[in-house]
Amino acid sequence: MDWHQLWVIVSAPDNIPIVAIVFLVPFFVWYGFRQSFATDRLIAKLEGDPKLAKVHHRKIEPYREGWEQKVHVWPYLLRVELLATIIVTVILMVWSITVNAPLEEPANPNLTMNPSKAPWYFLGLQEILVYFDPWIAGVLMPTLIIVGLIAIPYIDTNPLGNGYYTFRQRKFAILTFCFGFLILWLLLVLIGTFIRGPGWMWFWPGETWDHHRLIFETNVDFHEMLGIKSQPWIGLVGFLAVGLYVVVFGFLTHKLIVWTEFNRKIYARMTLLQYLTLQTLLVSMWALPLKIALRQLFRIKYVWVTPWFSI
Amino acid sequence: MSLNWWKSRSRLEEAPVPEEDPIVTSSLATPIAITSLLLVLTLIWAFYDEASGLRPWIGYQERFVGLYREALLELKPERASEEKAIYASEGYQELKAALEKAESDSQAQANEIGKEEGQVRGSLAAITKSFANARSQVQAKMYELETASEGDKASLQEELDELLAGPYEISLPSADGVTSESKSLDFEEFAKLFSSLKARQGRIGARKVQLARQPGELRRELDAYAKARLTGPNELQISRLISGLDQYRVEIKQIHSPEMGLVDRCQSCHAGILEPVTLTSENMGGEKVFTKHPNSSLLGIHDTEVFGCSPCHNGNGVGTVSVVQAHGKYKHWLHPLYFPENFEAGCLQCHEADRRLEHAPVLSAGREFFAKRGCAGCHAREGFENEAREFRELQKAIADLSNSRIETELEIERTVARADESETNEEAARLYSEAEERTLTIADLDTQMDRSRDRADELLMETKKLAPNLKEVKAKLRRDWLPVWIKDPKGFRPTTKMPEFRLEDEQVQAISAFIWQSGVEPRLEDQAPGDGERGKALFESRGCMACHSIGEGEEQVGGDFAANLSRVGEKVNYDYLVRWVHNPRERTLPYCPIHERDITPEDYAENGLPFDFGLDNNRCPLGDHSLQVQNPTTMPILRLTPGESRDVASYLITHKNEDAAYSAAPELDDPALAEKGRFLVRHYGCSGCHEIAGLENESKIGTNLTREGSKPIERLDFALLTEEAKSEGWYNHKGFFERKLADPAIYDKGKVKKPLEKLRMPNFHLSEEQKTQLTTFLLGSVDQKIPEKFHYRPGDRRKDIQEGWKVVMKYNCVACHQLAPGQQTVLRQLPLYQTDDGKELLPPPLVGEGARVDPNWLAPFLKNPALSETDTHRNGVRSYLQIRMPTFNLSNAEVQKLVRFFSASSQQTLPYMAPELKPLSAPELTMARQLFTHPAAPCLRCHATGDPKADQTATAPSFALVRERLKPDWTRRWIVHPEIIQPGTSMPSGLFEWDGKRWIFALADLPSMKDYPKDHADLVVRYMFQFTPEEQRRLK
Repeated sequence: MDWHQLWVIVSAPDNIPIVAIVFLVPFFVWYGFRQSFATDRLIAKLEGDPKLAKVHHRKIEPYREGWEQKVHVWPYLLRVELLATIIVTVILMVWSITVNAPLEEPANPNLTMNPSKAPWYFLGLQEILVYFDPWIAGVLMPTLIIVGLIAIPYIDTNPLGNGYYTFRQRKFAILTFCFGFLILWLLLVLIGTFIRGPGWMWFWPGETWDHHRLIFETNVDFHEMLGIKSQPWIGLVGFLAVGLYVVVFGFLTHKLIVWTEFNRKIYARMTLLQYLTLQTLLVSMWALPLKIALRQLFRIKYVWVTPWFSI
Repeated sequence: MSLNWWKSRSRLEEAPVPEEDPIVTSSLATPIAITSLLLVLTLIWAFYDEASGLRPWIGYQERFVGLYREALLELKPERASEEKAIYASEGYQELKAALEKAESDSQAQANEIGKEEGQVRGSLAAITKSFANARSQVQAKMYELETASEGDKASLQEELDELLAGPYEISLPSADGVTSESKSLDFEEFAKLFSSLKARQGRIGARKVQLARQPGELRRELDAYAKARLTGPNELQISRLISGLDQYRVEIKQIHSPEMGLVDRCQSCHAGILEPVTLTSENMGGEKVFTKHPNSSLLGIHDTEVFGCSPCHNGNGVGTVSVVQAHGKYKHWLHPLYFPENFEAGCLQCHEADRRLEHAPVLSAGREFFAKRGCAGCHAREGFENEAREFRELQKAIADLSNSRIETELEIERTVARADESETNEEAARLYSEAEERTLTIADLDTQMDRSRDRADELLMETKKLAPNLKEVKAKLRRDWLPVWIKDPKGFRPTTKMPEFRLEDEQVQAISAFIWQSGVEPRLEDQAPGDGERGKALFESRGCMACHSIGEGEEQVGGDFAANLSRVGEKVNYDYLVRWVHNPRERTLPYCPIHERDITPEDYAENGLPFDFGLDNNRCPLGDHSLQVQNPTTMPILRLTPGESRDVASYLITHKNEDAAYSAAPELDDPALAEKGRFLVRHYGCSGCHEIAGLENESKIGTNLTREGSKPIERLDFALLTEEAKSEGWYNHKGFFERKLADPAIYDKGKVKKPLEKLRMPNFHLSEEQKTQLTTFLLGSVDQKIPEKFHYRPGDRRKDIQEGWKVVMKYNCVACHQLAPGQQTVLRQLPLYQTDDGKELLPPPLVGEGARVDPNWLAPFLKNPALSETDTHRNGVRSYLQIRMPTFNLSNAEVQKLVRFFSASSQQTLPYMAPELKPLSAPELTMARQLFTHPAAPCLRCHATGDPKADQTATAPSFALVRERLKPDWTRRWIVHPEIIQPGTSMPSGLFEWDGKRWIFALADLPSMKDYPKDHADLVVRYMFQFTPEEQRRLK
C-alpha cells in the first residue's frame, strides 16, 4: 500500500476539487433522497387525510396550523444565503492561501506528459475512448449526451414532481438520471482522476504509478473471433450484432418503460416521437456499460468494424 | 450513539413539532457570528501571508542589517589600526612630507595670485553690468541699421555713432581696494578694457591650475600609496558603510540584465554577497546566507550587473517566495541550483573552448579526465577527438574538389570547341578569354586540393588513440598475459586507465583470442641484452618519470600521465620493448585510411616498391594518398642511442612480481573463438580507445554527452531505481551521474537481462574527487541558454592561448615545464631534483618563452629539438642536461599553435621582425671581449663554450645560439635583472647597475670602457648577437 503515491494523487492541486466531489456528491445525493422519501411519506399522509391536505402548505415538515404560508425573502432567505456566502468565502480563502496554482515547467513539445490527462470535465470521455473509437467516443456520444440533456424536457411526459422532492412520483426519471450521471459520468471522472496512471493503465489506489510497468492485454475484434476475415462479411456480421443489440435492448427498455402501473400511465401520454427519442437515447446509453463489460470479460475490441467507424 | 443519531435523523416527520415556526423564529446569529469571526481571522491570515509569509526576504534583510552592523563595528578598530600603521610607515611619511613642502612652497604664490584675482574680479564687478547694457544697445542698433530700408539708414547711423561715442562713465577700484578711480571712455575703449580684464582673469585661472598641479599629483600619489597597501576598506569607508545601514531600505534587490535576458533577485536574501567587506558565516552570526561571494577576481572579470547570478549558478533567479523555490530545487524547475561542489559546472557553457581554466580547477580536472582517461573513447562529445571526423570531412571535400576540377576541365574543352566553331571573331575572342579565366579556377582548385591534402596528412600525424595499438600484440605481449589483464586490469595495475568490464570468463577467452589473432606478424630484430644498472640511471634521469611511474601505492614515484611500469616485465617482449623505447612511433605495418587496412610487404612488392615507410615516405603503394605511418601514441621519441635503449629495456624488464604465474592459454589460437571474440569486441566498443585490425572505423558505442546536462529527466533511465530515487531525493541529473559513475551497472539492478543486453559501460573505480570532477563536467554540458555574444570565443591573442593549451595538455608539456605562473610540474616533485644541485638539472621554465625566443627559431626547434640531423642524441640547446627534450613529431599546425601560444601568452606580436642591431666598431669589439673574459665576469664559467670538457659542468646555453634564438630586448632585460624574469635562476643579478642615465658593468672597472659614453648592457647584447663559433674559440 503506497501511501505516498496516494497522497501525491490526492494532494495534487488539480485534483483537490475532485477529492471534494468524492465527499460532496454522495452527501448531496443522500440529502436529496432523504428529502424525497420524507416528501413521499407526507404525500402518502396527505392522500389519506383530505382535510389536512387542504391546509397543509409546506412541502417539508414540521407543520403547524396557523403558520405563515409565505415568508419574506428578506431576511429569512437572505440571512441563510449570507451564512452560506461567508462559509464559502472562508473555504476559498483558506484554499488559496494554502495551495498554489499548479504552474509547471515551460511546455516542451518534444516531451509529452505521461499520463496525459484531459481536464476533469473531459475525463469521462477520455475514459470511454478506451472502449470506443474516437468518432464514437469523441463526437457521437458527446453529441448524444448534450442532445439528450436538451431533449429531456420534451420527452418527459410525467407531469408530477414539479417543485418538490419526490421519488415515488418520478422513479424512472430519477433512476435513469442517477445511472447516467453518477455511474456513466461521475464514476468515469473519478476513475480518470485516481485510477488511470502512466500509459492510461489501471492502477488501484495504493499502487505505485510505475512508468515502466508492462501489462499484457490483447483485444480482438468480434469478427476476428468468429474467424471472418473478408469484406463484406465483416461489416455484415457487425451490423447483425449491433442490430441484435438494438432489438434486444429496445425490447428490454420497453419493458422498463411499461414496468409499473404508474409507468404505463405515463407511457400512455407519450407521442410516438417522444417514445422513439427516449428509446434511442436509452439504447445508446446502455451501449456504454455493455461495451465495457464485453471488453473486460471477453476482450472484444470492436463489435462492428467498418472503414468509416467502429463500434 | 451514532446509529441513534442516524435513526433519529432519518425521519424528518418524527421530530417533535415546535410551537413557533422555526423558519421565522430560529436565529442564525450564532453561526453567522462564528463564521464571520472565522472570516476575519482568515483575512488576517491572508494579509500576514501576503506581507510576510510569502516574503521571507524581509526577515532576511532585517536580520542582515543587524548582523552586518555588528560585524562592521567589530571590524572598524582592526581596519583603523591597519590604516594607522600605514600612515606611520616610512614611505607614507616621506610622501606626506614632500606634499606638505610642495603645498607650503606654493602657498606664497597662491596668496599673491589670490590677491590679484580679487582685484580683477572687483574691477569686472564694477563695469560688467554697464558694459553689457552698452554692448547690447550697440548691437541692437547695428541690427536695426543693417535691416533698415535705405531711407532710414542715415538717421540710424547717426544714432549708432552717438552710442559709440558714449561717453561711458566708470569707476574702477584701485589696487589698495579702498579708493576708486573714475574714467570716461567711448565704446571701443570700454570694450577693450572689458576684454583685457577678462583675459587677465583667464590667465590667472591658468596659473592657479598650474600651481596646483604638483601638489595635486603628490596628493594622488599619497592616496594611492595608502590604497595599495590597505587590504580592505579603510576606517572612513567602514564608518560610511555603518551610517549607510541606517538608511537601509528593505526591498527587493535585483539585478536586471536585458542583454542576458534575466532578472536575478538572489541579493534579496543573500544581502551580503557583494559587500566590500569580507563576510563569513562566523562573523555573521552563523548564518551562511549572508556570506560574501568568494573569489572577487572572478567577479571582477564577470560584471555581476551583466551576468547576474543564475547563468553560473542556475536556480530560479526570479523566485523570492521560499528557499526551495528560489534555489529551483522543486520538481518543475529544470535548472536547480548547483551544489557547492559542482558550482564550476556553470563555467562550461561559455568556456567550452578553454582546455584549462584557472578559476575552475574541478571542471578542468573533469575535462582532462574525460579527454585522457577513456571517456572520449566510447562517448562522443563535441570538442573531443575531432581529428577523425575532420579527416573524413576533408576526404569528402577533396573528392568534391576533384569532381569540380574535372567538370571545369570539361567545360573549358567545350568552350574552346565552341570558340573554334564560332561565326564571328568577336565571339571567338570572347569564348577564348572565358576559357582562360576558367583555367585560373583550376589553379585555385588545385591550391585548395593541395592544402586539403596537406591538412589530411597533418591530421594523420595529429590523430592519437588513448590506448595502445593492439595490432602489435603478437610483437609486444605474452599471449598468456592477455586474459589475465582483460579480466581484471586493476588487479594487475591499480593505476591503469583501462576500466573493468563485467565479462564472463568465456567472454574473456573469446576476446583475448580475437585480439591475439588479429595482431600482425611481428617483424622484430633480435636485441642483445643491455646493462640494467645503466638503464636504471637513464630511466631516472632522461625524463621518463615525468610521464611514467614506478612503484605501487605509497611507493609510487613519477607522473601518472602514462602507464605505471611496476610489472611491465611480466607482460612485454624484450625485443619489442627495445624498439619501443628507441622509437615508440615505429609500427610493424602502415595503415591506409582509404583502403581501411594495413598495407603489407606484398602490396609494396606488387607495385614494384621496396617495403619502406616513414614520415618522409608515407605514400600508399596502392593509390595517391597518405598512410598512417606512426603508432598513434603521444609518447615522444627520446632520441636514445640503440645501446641506451637496450639498457633501459633491460632495466624495465626486471620489474615484475616474482610470484606471478600465468597459466598457458592455447585456446587463444582457436579461430572459432576468435570469431565470437570479434563480435564481443565490437559490442563492447574496444576500438574506441585501441587501434584494432579490421575495426578502425567503428563508431563509438556510448551516448553522445554534449548536452547531457540538459537531457529531460524523463530520458535518463533510472530503471527499477526510479521510485527509490524519487523517495530518497536523488531523482535528478546529479544523482543519476554520481551513481552511474560509482557503479556503471547500477541501473541494471533487479533487471532480468541476457548477458549481451546488459549495460556495457565498464567500471573505472573512481575516487570521490574524480566523481565530483566528472559530475561537474557533465552537469555543465548543457544547451545554450546564454546569448552567443557572451561565450568566450575571442578572436585575438586569447584564442591562440586557448588553442595552445589544447596542444600542451595533449602532449603533457606541463609535466616537465612550467608554463603558467604557479603551475607545479611532475619533475619538481621527483627525488632527483629536490637538492640545490638537482634543481640545476631541471628543464627550463617556459613562462615568458614568447618574450624570450624568436618564433622563427622556435618552430624548427619544436620540430627537431636536437637542432641537428646528424648529432641527435642530445638536446639542441642545453646539451649539458641529462634530461632529454624529446621529439614529438608534431604536425606543422600543432607547431604553429604552440608558437602562437607562447607569443600570445607574453603579449608579443606576430610575425616577429627582428630589430636591426648596429654592428660593433673595432674599439667596441675589444671592449666587449675584455668584459667577457675579465676574471670578475662569470659568463664563461657557466655558459657552454663548445669545448666538450668544459661543457660537462656547463649549466647555461652557449652564446653561439643567441643570434638565431633570442630576442634582443629580452636579452637586455635578462642580463640586467634576471631575478625578475625567472626568480630563483642561477644567472647572477647585479651584473649591471644604473648610474642615472645608463647601465654600466658593475663587477669591475675596465680601463678600456672608462670613456665609453654608451650603455654597457646594450654593448653586451649587440656583441652576443653577432657571436659565432669562431668568436667563441677566440675568447678561450
